[in-house]
Amino acid sequence: MIPLIEQIIVNGLLSGFAYIVMALGFTLIFGIMRMVNFAHGELYMIGAFTVLVFYGVLKLDFITSVILAIAVAVIVGALIERLLFRRFVGMELGGMIMSLALSIILQSLALIIFGPAERSVDRPFTGVWAIHHAVIAIDRAVVAMGSLIILAAFYTFLRYTRTGLAMQAVAQDRDTAGLMGVESNSIYLIAFAIGSGLAGVAGALMAPIYTISPYMGHLPLLKAFVVVILGGLGSVPGAVLGGLIIGLVESAFATLFNSTIALIASFVIVLLIIIVRPSGLLGKRQ
Amino acid sequence: MIKHFAIGIVTLAVILSPWVTGGKYELHIATMVAIMGMLALSMNLMLRIGQLSMAHGAFMGLGAYTTALLCMKLNMPPVLAIVIAGLMVGLIAIVLGTIFLRIKGIYFVLLTYAFGEIINLIFQEWVSLFGGNNGLYGVPKLSAFGYRLTDPGTYYLLTVVFVAATYLLIRKIFRSNIGAILDSLEQDEPLSQSLGVNPLSWRIGVFAVSAMLASVAGSLYAFKIGFLSPQAFSFSLSVDLVVMNVVGGALSPIGPLLGALIIVPLPELLRSVKDYQLLCYGVVLLVFLVFFRDGLMGLIKKTQKAAI
Repeated sequence: MIPLIEQIIVNGLLSGFAYIVMALGFTLIFGIMRMVNFAHGELYMIGAFTVLVFYGVLKLDFITSVILAIAVAVIVGALIERLLFRRFVGMELGGMIMSLALSIILQSLALIIFGPAERSVDRPFTGVWAIHHAVIAIDRAVVAMGSLIILAAFYTFLRYTRTGLAMQAVAQDRDTAGLMGVESNSIYLIAFAIGSGLAGVAGALMAPIYTISPYMGHLPLLKAFVVVILGGLGSVPGAVLGGLIIGLVESAFATLFNSTIALIASFVIVLLIIIVRPSGLLGKRQ
Repeated sequence: MIKHFAIGIVTLAVILSPWVTGGKYELHIATMVAIMGMLALSMNLMLRIGQLSMAHGAFMGLGAYTTALLCMKLNMPPVLAIVIAGLMVGLIAIVLGTIFLRIKGIYFVLLTYAFGEIINLIFQEWVSLFGGNNGLYGVPKLSAFGYRLTDPGTYYLLTVVFVAATYLLIRKIFRSNIGAILDSLEQDEPLSQSLGVNPLSWRIGVFAVSAMLASVAGSLYAFKIGFLSPQAFSFSLSVDLVVMNVVGGALSPIGPLLGALIIVPLPELLRSVKDYQLLCYGVVLLVFLVFFRDGLMGLIKKTQKAAI
């Protein structure tokens, strides 16, 4: 029994860290721009396809490919913010529908360029570690470590740089931040680019583990939604807590039953939580 | 007067055209336009109160599967099955609505999205009941009062009756006091609250009615196609319904019908450029959102004003 529990916890933490990175980008963009980005999953997909091109086809090394994937996602993110999302700030419904349209467009572009087939790349890391009773696949551990590094970098940025502090200020009160000389438009651009980069890096790290296809962004987006609602929309610590909880819950139910039941279980837990706390575990009360 | 007469003639001509040309294929497309029109109208009801539901694909699917299974496994009369499925889906919407609609804003979209995806996963994974990705075969034809509805032309007219009834219902709602209350919820909730309106129960009510309409459309779809597979009820169906509203214009109930009339036959027309179909779709949606926010109906009204 104890080895099983240990394994469940290890698996839960491993996938939890990946969920956090995905959810963090989503919640960051929402927290600052008050916009829901349904195309967030497509930035994950773009990250994975960039790895497919540079690592799978052009045979660059994996780490370089991941960095390039972040760069591509950041550039795409900055472009769509500048061209589309900025026009829809303050228009909740219109903005959401626009992001749905964008999601369709990005999917279909990937479909035209790469075709509908599910692809895969070689695993850059293989083998397992055995720690105490639990077994850890090294490639999953790499994803978790990559996620941890990104989380630490993100935290440092938000907490200790002027831009990071300005972002927090805009999230709290855009008008007051404006009076203090924070230009919200440039903060929007930076936040959106970083949020997109986070989705891109999640996709890039996951590329060797799952298959790559134009529609691959669907499930990560769903998980990001669940994590973010649980933790509280727009809350960065909430995304971290939510990601860990969902990772552990899914790991337990997926080990004991199967992955569909695990997804249903995490949804039910989210429903129970928002009955008690409508704005999520760490969300601002409305 | 002459204008109304002309609109009536055109509408009648559009409705009757597939029946007159009589091709099986045209009738099939026309029936799908009517069913999708009904769904687009149910989505319109949600958009009018400022809520985007991503669960409507799932509601349609629940209606379709429930109706089919009640007929197939319990030998229930189809009409009774449609009613029971509709009531069940309405009840589900009430339960979900009490949780989902408690907080304003985008939580509703995210939660309906998650709900829709999970229902679709259940359709896929619970193979013994729903047939999984291979689908559920052998849904019987619709029959009522000892008469089996097998002729595609008659079935098409039946769906037209349903979509017309839905249209009249929604028009009636929005021209009545209820419509004023609903509009006030979207525009100024505190004000309507101060006038003694309970926003939550109204929202839940609209959600339930809208879900029931989607369920009935799902039942009609099940009897039409005779075969159900989870893909037909996925997230992208909910998106299609939104697209119909955006392209047609969500401000009047004619908009979504116009949207359905354009969007449903589109894949057939774009068959030669199959790879670019989805891209066209996304780009058209984006163009409408950025440049023609009130859809085709908005454009028509604008040109009318310019003419005067």
